[in-house]
Amino acid sequence: MKKLTLLSFVFSFFILMEPEKHMAAENLQAILDSMKEGAVVKLENRTYEGNIVINKPMTIIGSDKTVIKGDGTGNVISIKAPNVKLKYLTVTHGSMNRNSAEEYAAIKIYTNNNVVEHISIRHSFHGIYLSQAHNNKIRYNNIKGMGKGEIAAQGNGLHIYYANDNLLEHNTIEGTRDGMFFDYANNNHSYENNISNTRYGLHYMYSDENIFKRNVFTMNTGGAAIMNSNHLKLEDNQFIVNYGNQSFGLLLLQANDNYIANNTFYMNQRGLYIDQATRNIIKNNRIIQNQIGIELWASSNDQTFTLNRISENTIPAVTLGGQGERNSWSKDGKGNDWGSSFPLTDLNQDGIGDFPVIYHSSLHQLIEDQEITNLFLKSPAITIYEKINATLNNDEVMFKDSHPMAAAKSSRKPLLFVAFGLVIGLILLKGRHQLCITFGRNGRKT
Amino acid sequence: MHYIWKEWKENIRGKGLWLSLSIIVLISISILFRSSVLSFDKGFYVLLINLFDAIIYFIPILCLFIGAFSIFQEKEQKTLIMLLTKKDNYASFLVRKSLGLYVVVLVPLMIWFFLYLLLLKFNFGLDITSYLIFVAAIICLNLVFLQMGAAIGSFSRSRMQIIGYTIFVWFYFFFLHDFILLSFLPDVTHENVKLFSAAYFLNPLQAVRMFLETGMGLYSFGHMSRLLEKFMWTKPVFFLLGNLVIWLVISFGTAIVFNRKEGYE
Repeated sequence: MKKLTLLSFVFSFFILMEPEKHMAAENLQAILDSMKEGAVVKLENRTYEGNIVINKPMTIIGSDKTVIKGDGTGNVISIKAPNVKLKYLTVTHGSMNRNSAEEYAAIKIYTNNNVVEHISIRHSFHGIYLSQAHNNKIRYNNIKGMGKGEIAAQGNGLHIYYANDNLLEHNTIEGTRDGMFFDYANNNHSYENNISNTRYGLHYMYSDENIFKRNVFTMNTGGAAIMNSNHLKLEDNQFIVNYGNQSFGLLLLQANDNYIANNTFYMNQRGLYIDQATRNIIKNNRIIQNQIGIELWASSNDQTFTLNRISENTIPAVTLGGQGERNSWSKDGKGNDWGSSFPLTDLNQDGIGDFPVIYHSSLHQLIEDQEITNLFLKSPAITIYEKINATLNNDEVMFKDSHPMAAAKSSRKPLLFVAFGLVIGLILLKGRHQLCITFGRNGRKT
Repeated sequence: MHYIWKEWKENIRGKGLWLSLSIIVLISISILFRSSVLSFDKGFYVLLINLFDAIIYFIPILCLFIGAFSIFQEKEQKTLIMLLTKKDNYASFLVRKSLGLYVVVLVPLMIWFFLYLLLLKFNFGLDITSYLIFVAAIICLNLVFLQMGAAIGSFSRSRMQIIGYTIFVWFYFFFLHDFILLSFLPDVTHENVKLFSAAYFLNPLQAVRMFLETGMGLYSFGHMSRLLEKFMWTKPVFFLLGNLVIWLVISFGTAIVFNRKEGYE
């Protein structure tokens, strides 16, 4: 009888303990704690319960279906030791609490020289958060948020806070608040990241001397917002289809001395949106098929635009709030290529137009006064509106490029024009009789 | 059913439908070639927007012509009189004729856009929902302008009138409507922005575009200003449906009230 009582007591103890629920979490943390510095931990293809804190240098490697699932109360993985490497994991269920003292993330890094790569992140406030962490490598990660409409309830894909000299490359971020957010973070390098469906794909606040190359921003409310940040280099990036009433490819707000070269701005509401910014060099970019190519506010001075191809935009460039000072549309005798809508003569064949390109527009006042104007920018009526106002002298000079580049070969839709010509030809040349035969009378001629 | 069959036979013998279809096919293929450099992921959306921007120039005028001449042909060949003296009144004739027109124009178009989807599959990552929204947008555009065409055909006395009215309607929706609104734009305030919005979305081209761009998730209307919030007082799909109903009813009404049974050469 005593033995039976003891046995049932032991059993009930195990049942009350709910061993499966707690053991996994304790196991992973316990496993990590039991490791020596520099150890390599290989995780199985299963779900481990978090949260975990890494307190010593080590490498954690998962595989296809290794998931670390947080308990929803904090950071899922906190890295508090340097030289930690995390690879091939899925990290989920960080805390979404906004009333806490701290903003939580799937992976929060407080230390230097860590590597985080091939990690998928879901259901977390921030994706990867670098807090005063330097010289880290964050690459090949995939972060998905709650979608474009949700701004306050979720955080950023990569949140870089007072963190310098980090390398961020080949990350894919979708549907978070901002794709990559830099706050007081300097000298970081970001290469070949792909960011879509966020509020701002890239958001710099008070962050200087960062380099940003070959990244792609698509379908964000704003491609990249550079605010209060100086001496950045943005090269070879693509800002594509950032489309919406207040959208832009690249916003420069109180941003100075930045170098923006070889980027593509394609089908954005505004290609570049420049406000209260000075001494930026915008060189060799392709600004194509945007509704407004460049929106330049009067508070911006000393911008240099040179060697850009600015074509097929509804409005190539507009200056709002008056003319800024010393904004230059050419440098060292080289202006911009304004496309086929500004025909040029180049009699000496030096690739530079013989006369300046001057663009007049009457829309600036409407755009400035009435935000609904943006909804008309795709309408063919805009062209007529501009022409009529030009004849009434209601327009103003938007820019003057003294040294325009000869237009590159036009890539307009030739077949489209052939087809359109065909219809017009039918109406005008063949006459109404033939047209009526075509569209009616069963195709019979009598 | 007889009307559909009749319409089909008349149209496949004529050149109008084939001309219209071939233009749309030509444009879609040229856009596909142009877009082949776009990225696999998002190129699909860019292609659909570019395609829409291109065919929006053609579909209205082609549908207006097809609709107008189809009705006018009944007058010219005296078949309208024959049909009306039997058992139909003009309204029921117009309903059946319109249904015939819809089917004859939309079925080949849908077949083409299905084939086009297969072509797209080789180049892009597909988003079927977005594609269906695109196709729905094209269908709406067709319906509105076919019905307007039918109205033009109903009240026109001669072919010259048809051409005149058609070009006017096309010009109106393409340029004039927005141009008039642009001139009212400085006077838009919180009080009258709803009215302005109603006038804006009365243009089928704008209603369809807004439906397409928001439906595909390209155009974001999140976190709008108060003015814009008031401007978008309902969802784009309801603006489109409202537009569709209004123009179909107006076109039907105009056609029935002002129809002329005789047409001249």
